[in-house]
Amino acid sequence: MVAAAVFCALLFGTAMAAFLVFKGLSENINLFYSPSDLKKEKISVDSPIRVGGMVKKDSINREKNSLRISFVITDFEEDLLITYEGILPDLFSEEAGIVAKGKINEEGIFIANEVLAKHDENYMPPEVAKTLKDKK
Amino acid sequence: MIVEIGHIFLIGALVVSFIAGFSPLLRFLTKDNFYYMVIGPMNNLVCLFIFLSFISLIYSFLVDDFSVAYIANNSNTLLPTYYKFAATWGAHEGSLLLWIFCLCLWSTTYFFLNRKKDEEFVALTLSVLNQIIFAFIAFTIFTSNPFERILPVVPIEGADLNPLLQDFAFTIHPPLLYLGYSGLAVPFALSLSALISKKIDSVWAREARPWSLLSSGFLTLGIALGSWWAYYELGWGGWWFWDPVENAAFVPWLISVAMFHSLIVTEKRGIYKNWSILLSILAFAASILGTFLVRSGILTSVHVFALDPERGVFILAIFSYFILGSLIFYSFLNNKLPGRSTYNLSSKEFGFLLNNILLVILALSIMFGTLFPLIYEALNDGDQISVGAPYYEILILPFALALSILQGVGLYLSWSSTKQFNFLNRVAIESFSIFVILSLLVFFVFGTLSWGTFLAIAMFSWIFSGNLVDAAYQSTQLQELKSILIKRFGMISAHLGTAFLILGVGIVTTFSLERDVVLQKGESYKLGSTHFIFKEIQEAKRLNYSFQSADIEIREEGLIDQISPEKRNYLSSNQVMTEAAIKPTLLQDYYVTLGEQVGDGTWTFKLQIKPFIRWIWFGAILIALGTFVSSYRYVKRL
Repeated sequence: MVAAAVFCALLFGTAMAAFLVFKGLSENINLFYSPSDLKKEKISVDSPIRVGGMVKKDSINREKNSLRISFVITDFEEDLLITYEGILPDLFSEEAGIVAKGKINEEGIFIANEVLAKHDENYMPPEVAKTLKDKK
Repeated sequence: MIVEIGHIFLIGALVVSFIAGFSPLLRFLTKDNFYYMVIGPMNNLVCLFIFLSFISLIYSFLVDDFSVAYIANNSNTLLPTYYKFAATWGAHEGSLLLWIFCLCLWSTTYFFLNRKKDEEFVALTLSVLNQIIFAFIAFTIFTSNPFERILPVVPIEGADLNPLLQDFAFTIHPPLLYLGYSGLAVPFALSLSALISKKIDSVWAREARPWSLLSSGFLTLGIALGSWWAYYELGWGGWWFWDPVENAAFVPWLISVAMFHSLIVTEKRGIYKNWSILLSILAFAASILGTFLVRSGILTSVHVFALDPERGVFILAIFSYFILGSLIFYSFLNNKLPGRSTYNLSSKEFGFLLNNILLVILALSIMFGTLFPLIYEALNDGDQISVGAPYYEILILPFALALSILQGVGLYLSWSSTKQFNFLNRVAIESFSIFVILSLLVFFVFGTLSWGTFLAIAMFSWIFSGNLVDAAYQSTQLQELKSILIKRFGMISAHLGTAFLILGVGIVTTFSLERDVVLQKGESYKLGSTHFIFKEIQEAKRLNYSFQSADIEIREEGLIDQISPEKRNYLSSNQVMTEAAIKPTLLQDYYVTLGEQVGDGTWTFKLQIKPFIRWIWFGAILIALGTFVSSYRYVKRL
């Protein structure tokens, strides 16, 4: 009786976890793309993705008296225009490696809802470091 | 010179811990008890050596000895003295030394509390601990040596400590966390010792319990402090990000909580012995994994392995030696006798079993999510993904719900079989009353309610009545209530802590307000019912940074205050850092971050209101307090 119940509890717990893990992963995986990947692959307009690269020099364009900003990231092969509305992280600057989360629109402009530039100045987001290394 | 002395002490500790770790083998060959007797003193010698080694590293930091690579990379002459001290554990190498020092403190404490006990058992436990110390020292010396010199060209100035880490909470966050991580080595060592000497019994469970409680307590404090630090320092107002580094601490915490619950059953009823041992191995495995994942950077990408194969292979070797080794021991030496006691589905035993199943499955699922990007990358030819926070949020909710339900009734279940179920009515009525009152209060304060809040309030009310209200209701005399409260203080405190934490999480996730705005000097913005007025901006300089600071006035009914968020520019690293300004109150925090100048006298700001956020950390403090009080009771009885 108890053994059967223990078995059931285990089975139920594992099944619940497996279901949640599967569902959670299928909905919350954010694939990473470099600007060149985006040129090559067709990405559906609705799905949220992550992109990353280095912010191009002189490409940061801030609208006066507004939170809107646009900039270009590059992997030294292809460029990608990103727009964002909000406050950028401290380490965001020209020639810094960044990762942005968001969606790409029909004109191929990336609408970011989150921009990450990680902790210290020596640190590159690993995906960006890899992308830049591959292309250089 | 001091650096060399520290280095020599570290090598000395390596040698002595090796001898202490493996001298049971000599005892086995010679049957001479001398080899048991020497382990204790040698263990203390290792502790002393590590202490001296650690002190010399701290000293070298204080005197700015930039001929040492580690110091040159993580300190600077401009750094305030206190942060020079704390910079000792500011990066991988030094924090490993701190980890080892924490473990030495545990092993020495264990020795002094048990030196008059069963000689063989204590000697075996200490030898396992010293093998762990040996492995970690070897890892430090051969792959991450903090004493390595950069000669012949000594830099005049250091690279500086990351400004984010120049903060009081950060300085005590790693030591607390490491005390928690390394403390899990003690129940692990006790388990191995019990397996080898065939003494897996109530006495063993009673001895293992305070150590698992203490580790849990320190992990709780360390995690809470990290969350608090992230909240005010990173400037986003987030308190938990489901970052791999956070998960690496949360997983061992969950397993250690499962372990000290399982040990209660082993102690009181003599069952779940094998399970308790398995949990202690699992907890230590999670602790090693956590320790290495946090600072080695492996979690960010498998490529770190390729960049630094030496470290990766070393870590794998340590992990396999201890975890596979102990699992092999376990499979040959585990307790084959069935437990004496029988129990049915309404028993306390079964309640504990469910608690353990839930905690362990949750821990493993979180671990899976954390490691999944690595698996994916390896299987998909380097394609990179990240697992978003919603994965963990979906995952944890049903588990938290089920655990809360158990927490409210677990106390009233009897061992073996529960005969009386009238407590269910009482707890249901009491918690429903609290639920209605709290919901009304929350509605009154925030003007709305949502499913998330309802759920959080329901969980809070259930745990609260099950652990505290019912005790009060049941006691006919004040004296009786007092004695119940004293007897169960640790448990009640920890359980109420989880209740407050759940309430805080529920409300802060549903009622937080956040807005990025552009403000001109003199302009105001209304967020919720609060006015934020941008008064003034000024520039100035402090010891190692220059900064701009804005004066923001907060106006709300019954509250007028001014806070000043800053934007700092650190001189030595030329790194910009925002310093959020927070006005905390009992019910909510007002949180302002300064953005950038976007026009003449016009700046961007992030304005936030965070209700009930303090209750999360208050809950964590109650949990830690509970574990410390409970473990103190056990230690006193030793």
